Amino acid sequence: MTASHAVAAPADAILRIEGLVKRFGGLVAVDNVSFGLERGDILGIIGINGAGKTTVMNCINGIYHADGGQIFCNGRNITKLSPHAIAKAGIGRTFQVPRIFHRMTLIDNLLVTSLDSSESDAVLIERAEHFLERVNLAELRYNHGEELSGGQQKLLELARVMMFDPALILLDEPFAGVNPSLCRLFIERIQDLQRDGKSFALVSHDLTSIYKLSNNIIVLNQGQVIAEGGVEDIKNDPAVIEAYLGQ
Amino acid sequence: MSSLTSMDEAKASRIRHTLWFGLIGVVVLWFGSIPILDGNQSLYFSLMLWVTMATSFNIIAGFTGYMPFGFVAFYGMGTYTAAILVSIVKVSPYIAIPASGLAGVLIALLFAPTLRLGGIYFAIVSLSLAVILQRIMGLAPEDITGGSGGLNLGQHTVREQGFYAMLIVLVAALATVTWLTRSRLGKALRAIRDDAQAADAMGINVQRSRLYAWLLSALFASLCGGIQAWFTGALDPVTAFDVLITAKTVIYAMAGGLGTVTGPVIGTVILVWVDELIWRQFPVLNSFLLGLIIALLILFMPRGIIGTLMQKYPRCRRLIM
Amino acid sequence: MSEVLVWNAMIGGIVFGMVYALIGCSLNVLAGVLRVINFAHGEFIIAGSFFAYALFTGLGLHPLLSLPICAVAFFVAGRGLYYLLVPRLARSDEPETSSFLLMFGVSLMLIAAMTWIFEADIRPLNFTFDPINVTLFTIENAYGEGRHGRVLIPTARIVALVINLFIIVGLTWYFYRTLPGKALRAATMNREAIQIVGINIHRLSSMAFGLATSLAGITGVLLALVIPSIDPNGGADIALIGFVVIVLGGLGHPVGALFAGIIFGFVEQFSNLMLPQAAAQMVGFIILVAVIFLKPSGLFGRSVLR
Ligand SMILES: Nc1ncnc2c1ncn2[C@@H]1O[C@H](COP(=O)(O)OP(=O)(O)O)[C@@H](O)[C@H]1O
Ligand SMILES: [Mg+2]
Repeated sequence: MTASHAVAAPADAILRIEGLVKRFGGLVAVDNVSFGLERGDILGIIGINGAGKTTVMNCINGIYHADGGQIFCNGRNITKLSPHAIAKAGIGRTFQVPRIFHRMTLIDNLLVTSLDSSESDAVLIERAEHFLERVNLAELRYNHGEELSGGQQKLLELARVMMFDPALILLDEPFAGVNPSLCRLFIERIQDLQRDGKSFALVSHDLTSIYKLSNNIIVLNQGQVIAEGGVEDIKNDPAVIEAYLGQ
Repeated sequence: MSSLTSMDEAKASRIRHTLWFGLIGVVVLWFGSIPILDGNQSLYFSLMLWVTMATSFNIIAGFTGYMPFGFVAFYGMGTYTAAILVSIVKVSPYIAIPASGLAGVLIALLFAPTLRLGGIYFAIVSLSLAVILQRIMGLAPEDITGGSGGLNLGQHTVREQGFYAMLIVLVAALATVTWLTRSRLGKALRAIRDDAQAADAMGINVQRSRLYAWLLSALFASLCGGIQAWFTGALDPVTAFDVLITAKTVIYAMAGGLGTVTGPVIGTVILVWVDELIWRQFPVLNSFLLGLIIALLILFMPRGIIGTLMQKYPRCRRLIM
Repeated sequence: MSEVLVWNAMIGGIVFGMVYALIGCSLNVLAGVLRVINFAHGEFIIAGSFFAYALFTGLGLHPLLSLPICAVAFFVAGRGLYYLLVPRLARSDEPETSSFLLMFGVSLMLIAAMTWIFEADIRPLNFTFDPINVTLFTIENAYGEGRHGRVLIPTARIVALVINLFIIVGLTWYFYRTLPGKALRAATMNREAIQIVGINIHRLSSMAFGLATSLAGITGVLLALVIPSIDPNGGADIALIGFVVIVLGGLGHPVGALFAGIIFGFVEQFSNLMLPQAAAQMVGFIILVAVIFLKPSGLFGRSVLR
């Protein structure tokens, strides 16, 4: 057995990132980051503001092109693909600041994910209504996105990604600016989806919910992974405590 | 708060479409009778022309968010193609007009790489390309484009035929946008307009969708140009590529409301009348007032009449397309 | 080809190139600070020419004297225009596109106003310098045995060139040595950062707008010195030259515009000399399109793709 064989991704890792680098001018926002994510798991990504969490997500879903390193989804190299191709490969996401389609109805916001589907419009609309129901937005389904509150927009993004039905969902700060009751709803939905076999990468600086949901956690600081492990390991890791409290 | 079931919405949609197609039917009958009843052909022709122009501009600007400041390029290409084919190659307008539409689509394909450009660059390039085309037409050998004097095709064409051709293209353009609002392509385009990156992340092939809109838009604009040549029987590079054509198209479409089906139609109908009035009264001030209207619209009603109505009274959305 | 013509093209390249550089500079101040491409810039410049024309025909004021008046008047007008137009824009759905449209509207209004006031035909500006021309040097036997050629340059163009140089040097000093200039440059690099640092962005932007408008006015007066006839419909051509220059030099870089302006001046003069007229007129556009597609960031890097 060679060493490289030992490092190689297990065939069923839904996401594997190797040596990811992303620079903005002189700033190295993501600096040689590697991690993996097993099917059905929730990976928490934490780190203070500016640590590079959002940038990692943007690289995974192709909004940014990585300056170095590789990204694999189910063993397939997706590093150079465009966002829509990556979406088709089964990776969906939400955004830190919600990016809904504000001049379209909520139903249409969901339908946008299924335009290539061979199913009839009627079937798709029914499904869209179902998912809006699950995030308590069914009442407003013919309203425009811009009429929603910030928290509702986050829920709409979640419904949109559910409609989209990807195997891996990237959630960027889903709980930021959401009131506690919506937050609980959000967490329930994430748990439902995990039971259905979905995998998640979950970015947040709300440690409580991260600890509650995650199977594994990585900690980013200044673009680098400074700790990695199960919830208990991270809670007690001195490097994490320093990164969060030391400065 | 509105608590619609999908049944209600389906019904509202049916009512909306019935009303809309009914209206189109009335317009066809009304406009179709103008040449027979000796009405003011020029006025009605220009109404149809501008509604079609505004509608085709709406396809690219309203549905995808691009602002092609050189929109007149397609129109001008159509004008020249039709005129050259009719007056020099001497083919029938019935062949020349489809060919002019094709020419617009080809030029749009040629310019398609500009769609990759960001807002500022797209605006500059688009404007410049229109000027380049104008120069080429003006500087080309006289026996091809007529040079700076232009071409005359009046003796080969019948005005009334041009009038009816315009009516057909108008209906086709309206049918196309109506289809677009309901179609999946239309949804993709509106998603792209609202947030292209998010649309991309949701699996929409942004470039391909934009290209379709671009080509459709070019098709109708160049058909307008071709038929304009047919109807008026003369053209020259200055008027065929006049920046005022872009200006009027933009204003008419914006005044009604980009991104809606009825907006550009209503905006055009109102402003063409106003324009006629202004022309009569103060020909010199015409383009001053056009400029002023653009500025005021941008500052005070960027969503236009219909767009503002829909924003202020969300319930209207059920009745307006 | 006569040596004299080559010299003339070189001189023309410098004279026009510097004017183009100035056009590019002012466009770039707007593009850099406000992210606005001023579609009315050509008309602003023509308005500057007409300003000089009006003062000359009305009051007999020499263009050299109207230059400072024009600079101040246009600065004030520019700032006024800023407060009238731009703050409202920030509230629209798509400020960038809206700003193009808005300036498009302004340009239509200006063309109409100028055609209305000065009528559609081209206006000559009959000021004089003494002597009218300066002979730079004589080339022996330029046109065959015993026929010498003189390389001439109109005095007005020398004056325009010198003023132009002073303005460019002054601008460079302003951008790199003074506080407001540095703030403007900082704003082109990072708008957010400058707000955090606590500089009132509206004040700064209105300064930029005033400065750009003032420079446009000055350019107009200089242009009237270089070509003493004014065409109210010439704005589109000027604006297009400006676009070529800023694209070539890199959007938002006043210094890039300087080099690009001179390069373009030379290219234009020499293509007039060496190519048929029709082809020469296309050269600028071909450069524009080629640069945008081959090296969209111009001489200085900046991403422009969607
Ligand atoms: N588009 C960009 N251009 C320049 N710098 C960026 C860009 N996006 C992010 N950055 C920088 O990269 C670093 C990481 O940002 P980000 O990934 O958003 O952090 P986080 O999501 O962990 O708060 C920050 O210093 C940020 O300023
Ligand atoms: Mg972030």
